[in-house]
Amino acid sequence: MGRYIIRRLIQAIPLLFLISIAMFGLIHALPGGPAAVIFNPHLTAAGRAALVAKFGLNDPLPVQYLKWLSQMLVGNFGYSFQTNQPVSQIIAERFPNTLQLFGSALVLALILAIILGIIAAVRQGSIVDYTLMTLSYFGIAMPVFVLGLIAQNVFAVQLHWFPPSGLSSPIFGMSPFQSFLDHLDHLFMPMCVLAVAFIAGWSRYMRSSMIEVVKQDYMRTARAKGVSPIPLLIKHALRNAVIPLITVVAIDFGSVAGGAAITEGVFAWPGMGLQFLDSLDRRDYPVLLAMLLLSAVFVISFNLIADILYAVMDPRIRYS
Amino acid sequence: MDISENLDSILSTQDELEPLLEESPALVQKRRSQGRIIFDRFVRNKAAVVGAVFLILLFLFCFLGPTVTGHNKPDQQNLTSVTDTLAPPSWKYPFGTDDLGRDELARAMVGGQTSLLVGLSSMLMAIVLGVGIGAFAGFYGGIVDNLLMRLTDVVLSVPLYLLLFVLSATFTDGTPRSVIILIAIFGWTIAARLVRGEFLALKEREFVYAARTVGAKDFRLMFRHILPNAAGPIIVNATLLTSSNIILESVLSYFGFGIKLPNASWGSMLNYGENLADVAPWLIYVPALLIFFTVLSLNLVGDGLRDALDPYMTER
Repeated sequence: MGRYIIRRLIQAIPLLFLISIAMFGLIHALPGGPAAVIFNPHLTAAGRAALVAKFGLNDPLPVQYLKWLSQMLVGNFGYSFQTNQPVSQIIAERFPNTLQLFGSALVLALILAIILGIIAAVRQGSIVDYTLMTLSYFGIAMPVFVLGLIAQNVFAVQLHWFPPSGLSSPIFGMSPFQSFLDHLDHLFMPMCVLAVAFIAGWSRYMRSSMIEVVKQDYMRTARAKGVSPIPLLIKHALRNAVIPLITVVAIDFGSVAGGAAITEGVFAWPGMGLQFLDSLDRRDYPVLLAMLLLSAVFVISFNLIADILYAVMDPRIRYS
Repeated sequence: MDISENLDSILSTQDELEPLLEESPALVQKRRSQGRIIFDRFVRNKAAVVGAVFLILLFLFCFLGPTVTGHNKPDQQNLTSVTDTLAPPSWKYPFGTDDLGRDELARAMVGGQTSLLVGLSSMLMAIVLGVGIGAFAGFYGGIVDNLLMRLTDVVLSVPLYLLLFVLSATFTDGTPRSVIILIAIFGWTIAARLVRGEFLALKEREFVYAARTVGAKDFRLMFRHILPNAAGPIIVNATLLTSSNIILESVLSYFGFGIKLPNASWGSMLNYGENLADVAPWLIYVPALLIFFTVLSLNLVGDGLRDALDPYMTER
């Protein structure tokens, strides 16, 4: 088991290095290079040369790369061009909001996907199954931002059931409980929109996984030994059917660092995604690059976690 | 005597069969071509047929619509009367107008031309790139395969939307061409993996050995012999790639990074209409629903093709 983990880690590290090289190359490929935005147009040539020397921009590229990488590894992502705040501080401020949105959407999606998947699998071929699968198909085809825009328009702008955007209402003097409810009010729509995309894909996966499991011999044996249907479903079938789904969930969670960007953009939810879009408008490259790198690291790490989880839950995988 | 009797009886039964065949020719099944088999299987899938019909109608709508219906001035501002601006859908303006009096139907058609064009062209570029890379990786194996698959992994691991936003903000200029190239650069990975897998499996088959024995060179083997046999999954992937490319282009344009004025696409229509959505919701419903139904139809057709092509060798 340990050897398997180490083997996967060793495979992941070169990938991380390659990605860091690609990101570093990206800094230098952008017009003007890394120096473009910090240089005041009123600088004299001598002043510019001094700044270039100070920032080490004359060093050969591999040296610059190593210096950059060593800073990145200790968490020093540089300073924002816009606000001169340390980038790590900006990210730390915004990450909890994205985590709230993404995490709650994920949990909601997981619960609903498991339930719907089980229902569709148990009633395979019936009208319920057919309806659920058609709806999930629509959910897969519907782009997130289209759904977000329509939902925002219908529920917030036209019907006024929910606030259209933001984190909280600008009302002073709310009691903590009221502001908590207000916060939930604002969280509800983006969370649902984000969850729909996940539910659509996961419920199909759960359904097919469940159908696979129910056909197994041990299910028939357990039933023959007298286990009643519902405990049979939960204790035997669900446990085994959920394994591949969990790995898919882990992989999808990997996109937390950048995946909610579109939903956050539509609903103006102040998380990492919206920070990315704002920084992009201002060409605030340190923030952008730190977030790109962070997202890639997240994606690779969670792919790794998904593989390890799968091996933990299903011993047959470890020895291949 | 026996033999000639048997012969006679055989010949006479054939004579008896002839009139039967004339009366019921359905008993005789002409051998169908491969294409015909695939088409028949596709047509059996009703959802896929609905999707295909919708796509055909959509193409006619976008490309022939402007000339046929006369709604061919998407930038014309009808400002003659106050009812011409922000008009809800009516007989005169079937999709309504925006705040400058521009006809949304015309904009939907012309924008659709751009959206469909970008989706298809980027798909073609990505497929060519992906098939090339996958073919080389799968055919040669070894180090070439290793390197190319590492490259694929890197491209797959970067957060797609974030990187696309950054690159489109910096490198594109709002014309369809730059957006097509940008989307194609990231769309080839799945096709490459697919083609590599197919090539790895197919290159050990007898027909490849036979062709090699006759003296076929590598390129000829790859593209004349192996590739046609791998065509099925590639076609399915191409259809689904078109739908994701249309979504990508819409997202980019919606956030202001992709297609910009004076070009229009459904995504940029969403960008424009978002500010007015509280008084003129049709401004976002029209492009949003168009995008959704296009993507849905492409997915249905892709799934139908997958069922029809797999396996296509067995005749039913």
